[in-house]
Amino acid sequence: MSPTDPPALGIELVRALARLEGYPPLDAETAARIAAGATSAVRAVAAAATASLFDVEPASFLAELERLGDAG
Amino acid sequence: MTGGAVPATLVAAAQAIAVGELSSVELTRRCLAAAQRLNAALNCFVRIEDAAALEAAARADAVRATGAALGPLHGVPLATKDMFYDPARETSSGSRVRQGFRAAARATVLARLAAAGAVDLGSLSMTEFALGPTGHNAFHGACRNPWNPAHIAGGSSGGAGAAVAARIVFAALGSDTGGSIRLPATVNGVLGLKPTYGRVSRAGAMPLSWSLDHVGPLARTAGDLARVLGVIAGRDPLDASSSARAVPRYEALLGRGIEGLVIGVPRNFYAADVAAAVATVLDRARAALAGLGARLVEVDVPEPGLLTELGRAIVYSEAAAVHGHWLRTRAADYSPQVRARAATGIAIPAATYLEALQLRPRLLAAFVDSVYGACDVLATPSLGIEVPTLADTDVGATEAMWETIGRLCQYTAPFNYLGLPALSLPVGFSRGRLPVGLQLVGRPFAEARLLAVAAAYQTVTDWHQREPLAA
Repeated sequence: MSPTDPPALGIELVRALARLEGYPPLDAETAARIAAGATSAVRAVAAAATASLFDVEPASFLAELERLGDAG
Repeated sequence: MTGGAVPATLVAAAQAIAVGELSSVELTRRCLAAAQRLNAALNCFVRIEDAAALEAAARADAVRATGAALGPLHGVPLATKDMFYDPARETSSGSRVRQGFRAAARATVLARLAAAGAVDLGSLSMTEFALGPTGHNAFHGACRNPWNPAHIAGGSSGGAGAAVAARIVFAALGSDTGGSIRLPATVNGVLGLKPTYGRVSRAGAMPLSWSLDHVGPLARTAGDLARVLGVIAGRDPLDASSSARAVPRYEALLGRGIEGLVIGVPRNFYAADVAAAVATVLDRARAALAGLGARLVEVDVPEPGLLTELGRAIVYSEAAAVHGHWLRTRAADYSPQVRARAATGIAIPAATYLEALQLRPRLLAAFVDSVYGACDVLATPSLGIEVPTLADTDVGATEAMWETIGRLCQYTAPFNYLGLPALSLPVGFSRGRLPVGLQLVGRPFAEARLLAVAAAYQTVTDWHQREPLAA
């Protein structure tokens, strides 16, 4: 982790989110794994979103695959 | 035919049945006998459907006797991962939660296999809810590798890889959200193809992550893979994400050779973490492709590690939605690792998930421009380490969980996010006599090109003819 990375999610925050979302209580090990996995995913998205996505429609993905498709 | 040799390939078996040299009943009996004999050691089937398979085989023989036109898989025994819905049988998705579940409608891919004449031998073992690259399963037991049962058969389509490698079936159907076709193909020494996103219908396949799930075949030869893909590919009105793009005649394009084809070898990332014993085998494979007329060039690949993490943001968000009700009401029915992974999405903000989806078309275009501006096909490792043991990868939800998963999916997962077609090709064995796979990745809808490379490679090598000890 570099000094500019956003802080990692903590176990207590994950447990609070789980309670809020109606999940049964999480043990510390499960909460730690969720915190680690979610932290890396959130950091990656923050790092990749380097320009505005204002006009990007996620459903355009299949059309983009077809546009870029192999001609044979 | 009675008592003769079983054909080596699916294509040969279909031909033998079509011309009357072999009956489907005879072939199905032999495959069922192999399944019964080997399943105790490999645990690759969760259910073997003896009676239904023999009935289907008898129907196939009766149809042939009428002189009617036959489908491309007529009478040939296959098997499918325990996650494709079929009202005629249970689909447990490798889980306790779905034990006893019977779907109301049949998966499109099962209907297409049946329409092509295939005989389905049963449901193949898988990781619980397809969430795991090793093949461990707390409820059904781990699937074992036919080359060495102490080692993993991979996941999540481990039963598919093991059953095809052990010569129980000619081909199998799996699914791939981060490597779940290609990893089992790799570690069991068979071919596995994750088609382009949208190429094969997912209607009636258990969802893990709608945006990253892919359905595809595993087989022992490029020709067999091409035949199965040709049957299952194509637009399906029941799957809104399926493409209307025409399906090429994959088998007819297999023999076009690879003279002049430019194969990209990644300069960055993919070379960094590959074990020496694996790297040596991959180098030999690339040299064989060069010997067939391909030109090898070094290419820079845009940040595959980042692509994997972006994919995780999507998979875990969608998995948390898919499993939300059961995680709230039946959490104890999940194994600890699958519970932790499926619940990871509860801590990923919705805006983050949507941004990961929004970034996808943009990063796809950048990847295609940069990589396929320099080569026709990218060749990476399928797995950078020697096939690990079941014991070494039995990490549950401990601190080693993310690292273990990450190491196994490092080379496969980026292409689920990008939706690109990727094929794992068996190219030899490591020092421990366990298979090594080369991953071929093409631009969108370039399955025919990947199959042609694999077919050319198999004309000058015999890895696909080697049989594991368990067979």
